[in-house]
Amino acid sequence: MEETWPVSLTTADGETLDITCGNDQTVVDAAADSGLWLPSLCRQGTCGSCRGTVKSGEYELGTHNPDALPPGNNRDVLLCRTVPRGPITIDLPYSHDRILLDGIRVHSGKITELSPVTRDVVRLVLHLDPSAEGTPGSQFDAGQFVQLEIPNRDVKRSYSMCNTGNWDGRLEFLIRLRPGGAFSSYLRDEARAGHPLVVHGPQGAFGLHETGLNPRWFIAGGTGLGPLLSMARRMAEWQDPQPARLLLGVNEESDVFGTADLDAIRDQLPDFAYDICVWHPTPTWAGRHGTPAEIVRNDLRTTPAPPDIYVCGPPPLVDSIIETATACGIAENHIFFERYLPN
Amino acid sequence: MFCFQCEQTDRTGSSPGCSGTRGNCGKTQPTADLQDLLVHAVKGIAQYASRARALGAADDDAARFVLFAMFTTLTNVNFTPTRFVALLREAKAVRDRVRDRYEEAARARGQQPETLTGPATWKAQPDLDGLLRQAAEVGVRSGLDVVGADVVGLRALCLYGMKGVCAYAHHATVLGLRDQKVYAEVEDILSFLADDPTDPDELLSRATRVGMLNLDVMRLLDAANTGSYGSPEPTAVRTTPVVGKAILVSGHDLKDLAVLLEQTAGTGINVYTHGEMLPAHAYPALRAHPHLVGNYGGAWHEQQHEFARFPGPILMTSNCIIEPHLSYRHRIFTTGPVGWAGVRHLTEDFEPVIQAAKAMPGFTTTEPEKVVTVGFARDAVLSVVDRIVEAVRSGAVRHFFLVGGCDGPTPGRDYYGEFAENVPQDSLVLTLGCAKYRFNHKDFGDIGGIPRLLDLGQCNDTYSAITIALRLAEEFGCGVNELPMTLVLSWMEQKAIAVLLTLLALGIRNIHLGPELPGFLTPSLAARIVDQFGLRTTGEATTDVARALERQ
Repeated sequence: MEETWPVSLTTADGETLDITCGNDQTVVDAAADSGLWLPSLCRQGTCGSCRGTVKSGEYELGTHNPDALPPGNNRDVLLCRTVPRGPITIDLPYSHDRILLDGIRVHSGKITELSPVTRDVVRLVLHLDPSAEGTPGSQFDAGQFVQLEIPNRDVKRSYSMCNTGNWDGRLEFLIRLRPGGAFSSYLRDEARAGHPLVVHGPQGAFGLHETGLNPRWFIAGGTGLGPLLSMARRMAEWQDPQPARLLLGVNEESDVFGTADLDAIRDQLPDFAYDICVWHPTPTWAGRHGTPAEIVRNDLRTTPAPPDIYVCGPPPLVDSIIETATACGIAENHIFFERYLPN
Repeated sequence: MFCFQCEQTDRTGSSPGCSGTRGNCGKTQPTADLQDLLVHAVKGIAQYASRARALGAADDDAARFVLFAMFTTLTNVNFTPTRFVALLREAKAVRDRVRDRYEEAARARGQQPETLTGPATWKAQPDLDGLLRQAAEVGVRSGLDVVGADVVGLRALCLYGMKGVCAYAHHATVLGLRDQKVYAEVEDILSFLADDPTDPDELLSRATRVGMLNLDVMRLLDAANTGSYGSPEPTAVRTTPVVGKAILVSGHDLKDLAVLLEQTAGTGINVYTHGEMLPAHAYPALRAHPHLVGNYGGAWHEQQHEFARFPGPILMTSNCIIEPHLSYRHRIFTTGPVGWAGVRHLTEDFEPVIQAAKAMPGFTTTEPEKVVTVGFARDAVLSVVDRIVEAVRSGAVRHFFLVGGCDGPTPGRDYYGEFAENVPQDSLVLTLGCAKYRFNHKDFGDIGGIPRLLDLGQCNDTYSAITIALRLAEEFGCGVNELPMTLVLSWMEQKAIAVLLTLLALGIRNIHLGPELPGFLTPSLAARIVDQFGLRTTGEATTDVARALERQ
């Protein structure tokens, strides 16, 4: 008879979920067997979306991408690569409402807008097709993503929405076109308004956290702006009381985008400000320059109220911000992040 | 976290109370702790406010803040830590303002302002972590080691009664009825509690004052509701859907319902009531809206599956909200004191609710009509008091059973359904609150044209029940306790505690209270209250009915 182990999962909002895990089973798979779909994506240790922290118990952590789980984070694990070797308790960094009980939803939708934003970033807008019982709208939490699939092709990629949940079935994305990327090539060469796409989701654990009235600092690298723009837009729409600022880091001035969207948020949310930071500016650039980590380090030294940090972008940027914020005294449970890794 | 304010508190330990990371209501540890701190801060406001009012420097805006803040801490009202941090900041600002007014007024009269201690000196920490550290010092069991469980229990009895008082007074306030005597008494009692009183006799005496204050507040709320929307009239309410777009309104606040009805007029969207909003259909000014089409679902604890299958958005106007399932979390909205993290909160502009209703399918078929009848409030019943008195004198009506209070998920609440169904055919069942959902769909028939099941309204309409009882006593020339009437109360949260204290303060004895006694009452306290006020606990339904009929 196969040996099994009790696994106790505690969400950020204090809900405890008890499951049983087989001897050679990962926590993600065991949870799914129990009807709990934990936030996860690649299920092979490369995307980092199934992070958790083992509080007690023995386990084996399988091979994984170091960008998805940088070494040195004591007992942080990727649950899709974690196999218990005894009773185990795990803290999950998200509230229990991010755990899906009925699997990942699949919708059909159509492209309604595809427009260039910079030399390698496009804005993609989809509208979901009405369901049989009417129009369900497009409901998701700011920070979440969907997987977009080109029908009848084995091409499926994850992108975060940059708009907010709505009743019009609208999904908006800021997508960087990667040279040679299958979905990027589709968007560059074939996609047109009216083309169908299959939408898997919403999914993901990244999102706003309730920690009181702490200021919220959003730090984006490139198209990591997407989920953070969604969060800032939601704050504006809901008139959230926390002061908020957003820092967008790009390599060159020609990479700057999103300013009209950010101006619109500033008009709606009185205590919102944003900065664009260019790493390699030309002499005519009048804004901030350097890396986001340099700017965050400098600003944290002088801020009167320690903020909650939300960061999204390439792993080097995310890691540098986590390191900087931690060094400046921001507690780990006030830093929320999502690493953009190649699909 | 430690909380034992409601009936569903954890009773698996050595003494009742929810602790750990999450209460049985779904309240997280930070939310519970911030609620404790907010109550502490509000007591500090009351310390200055009561003194300022005595010097003619009342601050009614501060009093209204106190009502609202206390309301947010009731069971199943607000679960949003951020909201409590914001309320704590506001509490500090209000406290400072009231303190300044008090000190200025004292000096203007040539008096040296008192140097207050306790909650009045609270210094607000700037962030959540700091506030949570402070909260650990001011929980409801503060001082337990020194004063003992009985005193802590009596303080809790007064405090929870005051929470109920504040909730009812807030409902009256939003309809424009404000009473400075009520504000003064609220401030006095909270100021008394701020001093951490230790005398059990004094605490019990204050508890009856809370009850009498609540009577005044219920009278005020009755005047606010009937003054705004007319006196309830017997009304058959549809309980099955009709085809069309739909919005569901839950909670108790009639003004929110009225505002939504106005904003949806002419849109083609139908509005349904849920839970404690059912009696709203009996108010003429609300019933006048043709798109207030019916009632949907049952009592509050059924909401998770009922809301999940309702084909439109839901507006939550007061307690009781419980954790919204993912299936409807994006289409449930809160307003007023209510809140849940991640659920959109609205203030008077319900356009997002309307937008959601338009996008959602609504009901696609009209089901065969079923109805329940509501609207037997004080005017409706007393308009036929002669017939009722005659029916009693002739023996046609043998006994009145008032089955009132909250419903809930615990098995012990089956008692109330069994009780009502075992009431003999020659007796009337009067209902109040959402406990009626256990049996209000059944046909109770009538006695000589008088319906055997008479719904008096929400728990907010307790004044109607008291008025009817007092009038019947007057007609029969006796006290309420001599009437052929038995009160059977089902309590869940703090409004029911306020109502219970009112009934006890009026000297009404032999009330059957259940399904469990409050967890904050120690066995010795419970024994004292049972002895002093003739309170009874619920037992076996048929036996209790029989004993009541025998006037035991």
